[in-house]
Amino acid sequence: MVEERRILYEHLDVPDINTFDVFRQYDGYTRFEKAIAEYQPDDIAKMVMDSGLKGRGGAGFSTGLKWSFVPKDIKPCYLCCNADESEPGTFSNRYVLEKNPHLLIEGILICCYAMGIETTYVYIRGEFTLGKKMLDAAIKEAYEKGYLGKDIRGTGLNVDIYSHPGAGAYICGEETGLIESLEGKRGQPRNKPPFPAVEGVFMKPTVVQNVETLCNLPFIVGNGVEWYTQMGPTYADTRSDPPTPDPNTGTKLYCISGDVNEPGVYELDLGLTCTELIEVAGGLRGEEVKAVIPGGSSAPILTHYELDTRLDFTSLTLAKSMLGSGGIIVMNETRNIVDCLLNIMKFYAHESCGQCTPCRWGTPWVRDIVQRIADGNGRKDTITRPKFGVAENGRWGDTGETEEIYEDLDLLESVANNIANVDTMTWNTICVFGIAVSWPAVSYMRKFRPEFEAAIREGKLVTLPVAEATVPPEENYAYQQRFIPKEFADLQGITGDSRKEHL
Amino acid sequence: MALVKLNDLEIEVEDGTNIVEAARQHGIEVPHYCYHPGLTRPANCRMCLVEPHVFFPPAGAIVPDRQLATGCTTVLRTAPPDRKLDGKYDFIVYTDSPRVKKAREDILEFLLVHHPLDCPVCDQAGECDLQDYSYRHGSDKSRYLEVKNVPPKKDLGPDVLLYSTRCVVCTRCIRFCDEVAGSGELGLINRGSHDEIDIPRSHEGTPIQLLDNKLAGNVVDICPVGALISKDFLFKSRPWFMEKANSVCSGCSVGCNITVEYKADGVYRLKPRFHEDINQHWMCDDGRLGYHYVNSDDRLQLPLKRVDAELTPTHWADALTVIQEQLSEVAADDVVVIGSAQATNEDNYVLQQFAHDVLQTTQLGLFGQLSGEEHKFPQFTIEADKNPNTAGARTILGSANGNVVLENEALWEKVSGAKVVYLVSGAPERPLEDAEKAALESVEFLIVQDVLPSEVTQLADVVLPGTTFAEKDGTFTNSTGWVQRIRKTIDPPGEARVDWEITQQLAKQLGGEMNYHFAGEIAIAIAENVQGYADATHQNIGDAGIKLAQ
Repeated sequence: MVEERRILYEHLDVPDINTFDVFRQYDGYTRFEKAIAEYQPDDIAKMVMDSGLKGRGGAGFSTGLKWSFVPKDIKPCYLCCNADESEPGTFSNRYVLEKNPHLLIEGILICCYAMGIETTYVYIRGEFTLGKKMLDAAIKEAYEKGYLGKDIRGTGLNVDIYSHPGAGAYICGEETGLIESLEGKRGQPRNKPPFPAVEGVFMKPTVVQNVETLCNLPFIVGNGVEWYTQMGPTYADTRSDPPTPDPNTGTKLYCISGDVNEPGVYELDLGLTCTELIEVAGGLRGEEVKAVIPGGSSAPILTHYELDTRLDFTSLTLAKSMLGSGGIIVMNETRNIVDCLLNIMKFYAHESCGQCTPCRWGTPWVRDIVQRIADGNGRKDTITRPKFGVAENGRWGDTGETEEIYEDLDLLESVANNIANVDTMTWNTICVFGIAVSWPAVSYMRKFRPEFEAAIREGKLVTLPVAEATVPPEENYAYQQRFIPKEFADLQGITGDSRKEHL
Repeated sequence: MALVKLNDLEIEVEDGTNIVEAARQHGIEVPHYCYHPGLTRPANCRMCLVEPHVFFPPAGAIVPDRQLATGCTTVLRTAPPDRKLDGKYDFIVYTDSPRVKKAREDILEFLLVHHPLDCPVCDQAGECDLQDYSYRHGSDKSRYLEVKNVPPKKDLGPDVLLYSTRCVVCTRCIRFCDEVAGSGELGLINRGSHDEIDIPRSHEGTPIQLLDNKLAGNVVDICPVGALISKDFLFKSRPWFMEKANSVCSGCSVGCNITVEYKADGVYRLKPRFHEDINQHWMCDDGRLGYHYVNSDDRLQLPLKRVDAELTPTHWADALTVIQEQLSEVAADDVVVIGSAQATNEDNYVLQQFAHDVLQTTQLGLFGQLSGEEHKFPQFTIEADKNPNTAGARTILGSANGNVVLENEALWEKVSGAKVVYLVSGAPERPLEDAEKAALESVEFLIVQDVLPSEVTQLADVVLPGTTFAEKDGTFTNSTGWVQRIRKTIDPPGEARVDWEITQQLAKQLGGEMNYHFAGEIAIAIAENVQGYADATHQNIGDAGIKLAQ
């Protein structure tokens, strides 16, 4: 049985930890004091780089690397704390904000010291009214105690924190959408490059970090890099020669919800498997696991064949999914995948910001197709066509078999792939919202195709037994995509007229 | 200069050019909606996706980049020597690869899912980017079975209608109002697939601010689809039935380059034409909608002469004879010839030649529209001088030896003592100020050459029907010294004649020697005789105009 390892959440349940005095009793701000007393700013940046800390917001981009992109000679430079936690299935940041806001402030101070930043904006999700109240109170207290403002603790360091509530848009959690919203504009992501590290808030270099990432900083500084890198696996990236280390260090706040007995936020080392995680969360509620969403609703789904996948950034990327924000949703055998997809697609169609064409009109289209299938109006064609797969010669191609055409499923896949192609990982959209839409759409459909086919065939939602509903990995187009040679990947969905291929 | 491999071409482009423009310079079209060279680039339509090729170190080869790039925001620059591709190229980009073609087709499919496909009743049909690109790059059938969004049609302002259903949300109009007009009336309301362009409204839906700035008409031009429609042109004509001629706006002294679109029965609309130094891509609504007098039913069609205090139609021979009689009786000092800032350089040149050589008077005047207000916008100015050719007329009229060009008070003082005044007006609906009226009333015999009945023609003893900018060839000189061509589009109404022809006929009647056949011939004479205009022949001016040496 795996034990929780509470670091960020260690003192979460201490009464009044949200007040300065209690926080101080539990080593509060000592790590920051250590940072300014013992280290130069560059040392902190190096420690963060060495710690292998990856951004916890969703993309899993190396924090140290991100900091290294910030030009040193352009001032002012800003820190933007992304507390717009709105990915369905994710609810870890709000506990930090509501219960232990001083930890976030300490993380912000360390980041500001390392990067020479004097102004920080905390962009809080508009619905987190309590979180904002607590954070504001903590900021006020920190100002009073001299941990914020001008000349902090006599070191000449100036840091101001402003909290800014969002207005309830999912897309404002995307870093450039957040910046636009913060500047008072319509929350629509920017074209990249330039990335925020070069041109962010008010066109100045900006570090955008998630709450959880910033909360890791006090512990890295306080306990040292060596202590930190012991947690979580470090893989070897064999794409480069010689292989480079690919660290997945530290703990992660996993938000486990769905069909488990004790849903909630669990702080665990990175690199645990799905099965272990379900155990930690009190075991499965129901007979068997049908599916697991590993990283918030936009992550591709995992089937029961993939429950031994390790839940860390690298392993999930290799499994063609992502850890994202760590919002894990477990589904048991009673769940209908078509219905789940419909629920998710409704969310994305509603939350598309409407800036760029494919997403603006593609997401409602995908939702409508799923809606039609769920309503029992899905189209089925009785024509058969050559079935593609791994042929006798071991190459990808015509297998010599034929298969029935479910027109709407092909359409669904094609439309989703036209927003963002999940196989080649290319998107026609401005931001990654496009891939956040097509990832679930295509992965649910490919991995649980029998259930979709049944809905079309029967004219109503049919929940199949887990074994029947899931496509085994060896027959699954989605899995096979992983091993397609590059020359084919380049051609996939790209050559000639896709419509002809698909219909 | 950057050396770029564009498809199979090897081209040199200036640093800082984007791919859309670089391709356009070499005759390759990169389709786009949101990109407009005069506005910022949000890259939101995703239509201009192109495929850059990059060096991929593990493979040691140049391969297609993983993501397609937007041609509008990808700027071509000279690469450092160690970053050259293939040893010499600064950039390699393909605009016709299978991936690009597929992406275009997909984007077009998305653009059309909510489009009403009402081309048969759409004004934009025939000049619509959505139509053109769908034809060239799109699919021939729709896969969309769901219900289409039907946002409402909206009245945005005095001249602009919004058919929201046709909108592709490229936000060109919003950016225009923000950046060029600086008034920011337009914005997006709602979100996602319910995005709509709108003006500020109260909760009840009543407009708070109409799209009524003086540049509002430009949003219709830059709308790539039929969403923004001019009320003035609504349902009037199909674009392909109209002839087009490059010309210059006669509304003020900016001299915006325009295209006059016309049929045999009149001018249908004016559209701005790009000129880098004068109007960029824009023109104002005063100019755009100011053509209506050309088509007016009230236009002067026959010469008029005063018989028993009434202006009565007559024929040209009669009118000219009457004038000849009057002019031959008076001394040169008692005649004032007044040229027009509304008339072309050619008209004014013939007029001053007539005054100087035939009437032998050196007292000339300059007449034109009253000054209006100057309007300044962040990237555009409407000038106060409402005449297209004040600078040119002033120079040309004063070009002969000893000529004096009188204006305003000096002119009216001179006029009030004169016996015969030959006034070329050409200024439609020109009101008269008191001093002007008094001066003109005191003239014994007033000859007015004009296009429309006005207070000026009311005072005339003989009225000669002239022509507007749309009915003659010639040149205008704007306030910044650009000499530009206007072109004949429609025939003058009735027996109206081109102004310089009337003057020449009058000169011949009085025994003068003048024998110009067409405006270009006069321009050559101007080039020979007027200082500064040495290069200003029609041939040299062309469509781009030439700038006079200051």
